[in-house]
Amino acid sequence: MKKLVFSGFVLMVFVALIAAGPAWSKEPIKIGGIFSLTGYLSWLGEYKKKAAELKVDMINQAGGVNGQQLVLISYDDNSSPEQASKVAQRLISKDQVVAMAGTASVPLSGAVASMANRYKIPTIINSGYAVDTSRDPYLFNTSHKTDFAVITAYRMFQKKGIKKLALLMPIGPLGEIGGTAARKYAAEYGITIVGEEKFDVKAADVTAQLAKIRNMNPQVIFSFVTGEPAALIGRNMDQLSFKVPLLVSHGNANPGFLKLVSNVRTQMLVPSGKVMKPEALPDSDATKKVIVEFNKKHVAKYGEPANYFSAELADAIDLIAEGLRTSGGTDPVKLRDTIENIKKFVGMQGVYTFTAKDHHGTSPDDMILLTVKAGKWEVPR
Amino acid sequence: MNALKRYWWLILLAAIAVYPIIGKPSPYRSGLLIFAGIYIILAVGLDLLMGYTGQISVGHAAFFAVGAYTSGILTAKYGFSPAAAMGVGVVFSATLAFLTGRPVLALKEYYLAMATLAFNEIVVTLIIGFEGLTGGASGLRDIPPFTIFGFSLLNHLHYYYFVWIVVVLVIASSIAVVRSPFGRALIAIHSDEQAARSFGVDCAKYKTRAYMLAAVYASIAGSLFAHYMGFIAPDDFGILTSINLLVMLFLGGIGTIFGPALGALFLKLLPEVTYQFQDYELLINGVILIVVLVFFPRGLFGILTALKNKIVPRTGK
Amino acid sequence: MSDISHLIQFLFSGITVGSVYALIAVSLVIVYKVSQLICFAQGEFFVFGALTMTTLVSKGVPVPLAFFLSIIIAMVLGALIQQVLIRPMKNASVGALIVMTIAISLALRGLALLIWGRESHVLPPFSQGEPIQVLGAALQLQILWIVGITAVVLFLIWFFFEKTPAGIAMRACAENPYGASLMGINTQKTTLFAWAWGSGIGALAGMAVAPMLFTQYTSGVMPMVKGFIAMSIGGLGSIIGSVIAGLLLGLVESYTIGLISSKFSDTIVFALLMAVLVFRPNGLFSRS
Repeated sequence: MKKLVFSGFVLMVFVALIAAGPAWSKEPIKIGGIFSLTGYLSWLGEYKKKAAELKVDMINQAGGVNGQQLVLISYDDNSSPEQASKVAQRLISKDQVVAMAGTASVPLSGAVASMANRYKIPTIINSGYAVDTSRDPYLFNTSHKTDFAVITAYRMFQKKGIKKLALLMPIGPLGEIGGTAARKYAAEYGITIVGEEKFDVKAADVTAQLAKIRNMNPQVIFSFVTGEPAALIGRNMDQLSFKVPLLVSHGNANPGFLKLVSNVRTQMLVPSGKVMKPEALPDSDATKKVIVEFNKKHVAKYGEPANYFSAELADAIDLIAEGLRTSGGTDPVKLRDTIENIKKFVGMQGVYTFTAKDHHGTSPDDMILLTVKAGKWEVPR
Repeated sequence: MNALKRYWWLILLAAIAVYPIIGKPSPYRSGLLIFAGIYIILAVGLDLLMGYTGQISVGHAAFFAVGAYTSGILTAKYGFSPAAAMGVGVVFSATLAFLTGRPVLALKEYYLAMATLAFNEIVVTLIIGFEGLTGGASGLRDIPPFTIFGFSLLNHLHYYYFVWIVVVLVIASSIAVVRSPFGRALIAIHSDEQAARSFGVDCAKYKTRAYMLAAVYASIAGSLFAHYMGFIAPDDFGILTSINLLVMLFLGGIGTIFGPALGALFLKLLPEVTYQFQDYELLINGVILIVVLVFFPRGLFGILTALKNKIVPRTGK
Repeated sequence: MSDISHLIQFLFSGITVGSVYALIAVSLVIVYKVSQLICFAQGEFFVFGALTMTTLVSKGVPVPLAFFLSIIIAMVLGALIQQVLIRPMKNASVGALIVMTIAISLALRGLALLIWGRESHVLPPFSQGEPIQVLGAALQLQILWIVGITAVVLFLIWFFFEKTPAGIAMRACAENPYGASLMGINTQKTTLFAWAWGSGIGALAGMAVAPMLFTQYTSGVMPMVKGFIAMSIGGLGSIIGSVIAGLLLGLVESYTIGLISSKFSDTIVFALLMAVLVFRPNGLFSRS
C-alpha cells in the first residue's frame, strides 16, 4: 500500500514537471564571467559583474534565448594572469560554459585568450587588448580601441587649435599602448608630440616628471592611465600651477573617478562611451534608447547609473545572446561564427559590425569626449 | 615504516599514474594539479636553499621568471624547441645565480632577504623595461605547447604526466642531494657556519652551489609554466609570488623536502575550496594560515609525521 | 621653469615620500629592536590608520580627534595581535614568525576589504591652502604636516627611550632580554608596548600621507616594501639610521626619476640597494 502511494506521488510530481512547460524542459545556457574582485584592479571588477548580472536578468525576463534561460557563472581572477587562466579553465571544463566575458586588463585578457583559443570558447573581453583575429579568432572586445579614444581627443584638439602635446605615460601595458596610439595619429591631426616622460603607477608623486614636462611647453598632457594615478597627476598639476588640460584614458568614465578628482582643479579630459552622457545624444542616435533603458534598470537595482565598464559587459552579454539566437544551439564553435557575423547590432558602446578581420566592431564615432565640472560629467565646449 | 621511506617514489608514481584513470579529471582538474606540480618544484628547490642551507630568499620568483621568459621568448619569437629553450633557461639561471650568489650570500639573514627581494624587483623591472623583447607589462603571448621529439604535449593529461614525472625527479634528486656529502655540508653550514668553516668547508662555494641548484629548479618550473599558460606577464613573478613560496615552505614544514611539497599543494588547492566565499575569501585564507601556523608549528608535514608515529609507534630501533 | 626650481621640486617630492618611508622604517625598527621580529603586517596598519581616519572625518568627526582616535585604534589592534598571535609563538623559528606576520597581513587585508570595500578613498588635507612657492617649485602644505609629524614622532621616541624609565627599560630589554628580566623588567609588557608603538607609528605614516594619495585596501604593500628597504640601508637596529635612510631613499628615487630615467628608476634604486647591502652589509649607519 505504501509503495503504491509513493509511486503515485512520484508519478504526479513527474507529470507536474512536464506540464510546467518549456522552462523546465531545457537546461539553462551557461555563460562565464571573469571579474577582478580582489587585487589592484578590484575597484572596477564590481561594476562589470553587476552590469553583466543585470543584463542576464533583463534577457531572462524577456523570455531568455531560444526558449532557454541564461545563467551567469562568475569568478574572481584576483587581478592575476595565472588565476585568470585558472578560472577560465574552471569555467570551460568544469562549468562547461558556451562563452565567456570579462577581464579588466591586457595581461588578464592575454591569459584568458590563451585558454579561449586553446579550447575554442568564444570570449568577449573588455580591455586595452587589441584583438588580432589571425591569432585570437575566438576573442572579441567591447572596449573601444585605444586608437578611437585618441582620435576622439585629437579631433577636438584640432578644432580648438591645440597643437603641442606632451606624454606622461605609466610604466605598463596602458602606457605602451597609449604612447603608440598617440604617435600614430599625431601627424594626421596636426599634433606635435613635444616629449615623453614615464612614471610608476604606484608612485606617490609625479611632480618631478611634470617639472620636466613643463619645460617642453605643451598645451595639453596625455596620460593613458586609469584611476588613482590619473587623479594624482591632476592633483600634482594643481600643486605646480600647471594650467593645461590633462587627457586620460577612457577607463576613467565611472563614478569612482568623479570622487577621486572632487578637489582637483586641472581640467580632466576623458574619452568615453556615450553611456556616460545620454542626455547629450540626439534622439536619432540608435544607442540612446538602449542606454536609457539599461540605465533605468541599473538605477533601480543598484542605485547608481551605468558607467563605461557596465556598458562593456552589458554589450558583451547582449552580443553573446544575439549569437546564440542566430546559431539556435549551444555549440561554442558555431557561436563564434555567428557572433562574428553580427552586423549593425545596437549596443551601448555603439553599433557593432564584426568581420573576420575586425572583432571590435565599433568606430571612433561611437566615442565622445567628456570633462568633469562640479562633480558631474560635461561635454567640453 | 622504512618501506614507506624507501619506496615513497613508487607510491607517488603509482598515485600519479592511477589518478587520471580513476578520477577522470577534466582539463580544469588536471590544470590545478599541473599548477600545483609546478609550484612543488619551486618550493622543493627553495627548501634546499632555505631549509637545508639556512639561507633566506624572498626573491625566488626571479628565477621562476628567468626560466619562464627564456622559454617563452625563445620558442615564441625565435622558434627554438621547448626542450632546448628550457636548457638555455637553466644555463642562464644558473649563471645569474652564480654571479649574484657570491656577494649576496655573504649577507646575513635579514639583509640577505632584502638583497634577494631587491634582485627579484630588478629582474621584474627589467622584464617590463625591455618591452620589445619581452612584451613588457602587456605580457608575452603565443607561447607554443611543450613538445618532446616532435610529440606535442598540448593534451592536458599528457602535460599532467610530464609535469608530475618532473616533480618526482626533482624530489628524488633533492633527497639524493640532501643525503650526499654536498648535502651534509649544507646542513653543517646551516647549523653553524663558523664551525663548518673551521672544519675546512668552503662555505661561500657551497652556499652558491645551493643557490644555483634552487635557481635551476625554479627555472625548470618557469619553463613548464610558460608552455602551459601559453601567455605570461610580469604580474605573476613579483614579490607577492616569492612571499607565497615562503608561506608554502613554512606551512608545509621547512627543511623536509616533502613538507614544502605539501605546502605548495595545499596553498594551490585551497582557493578551490574558499573561492565560493567571494568577498570573504581573502580573510578566510589569512585565518586558515594563521590557525595552521599557531597550532602546527611543524607544518603540515609535522602533522603527518606525528600521525604516522601514533599509528606506527617508534620502537627506538 | 629654471633648473634650480627643478632641483628644488625634486627635493620636495623626495622629502615627501622619504618622510613616509622613514616613519614606516621607524615603526619596523621599534618592533625589531624589542622583539627581534620583522613585522610583515606593517603595511596593513598603514592602511587601517588612513582608512579609519577617512571614515571618521567623513562622518563629521573633527580632524584632530579623528587623528588621535585612529592612532589609538591602530595601537590597540597591534597590541591585540601581539598578545593573541605572536606571544604564543615565542619558541618558533624566526622564519615561522615572519610567515605568521604575513598570514596576519593577509587576514587584515581581507578585513579591510570587507570594511571599506574596493574603492579608493580620499582624505582631505589637514589644512586648506595654496601650495607655497619656493624659487619656482611648489610645496604642498600637507608636506609640512608630514615633515612636522615625523619630527615630533622622532622627538617623542628619543625622549621616551632616553629619558623615561619605561623607555630605558625597553632599551635594556632590546639589548639583553635575559639580563633585563633579571633586573625585574617585565619583558612581556615591553614587547607589548613595542608592538603598540610600532602599529601606531605605522598608522600615523598612513594618515599623514593619505591626503596626498588615495587609499584602498591594497595600498599597504608598496610602502611596507620601501620601509623595509629603508630599514636595511639604515641598519636594522638604528632608529636614526632608518630615518636618514628613508629620506635618502625618497630623495634618490626622486632625483633618479628627474635626472636619469623614469623608465628604469626602480631598477636603479633596487640595484643601489643591492650595492649598499653587499658593500656595507650592516647598513650605512649601524653601530655594530
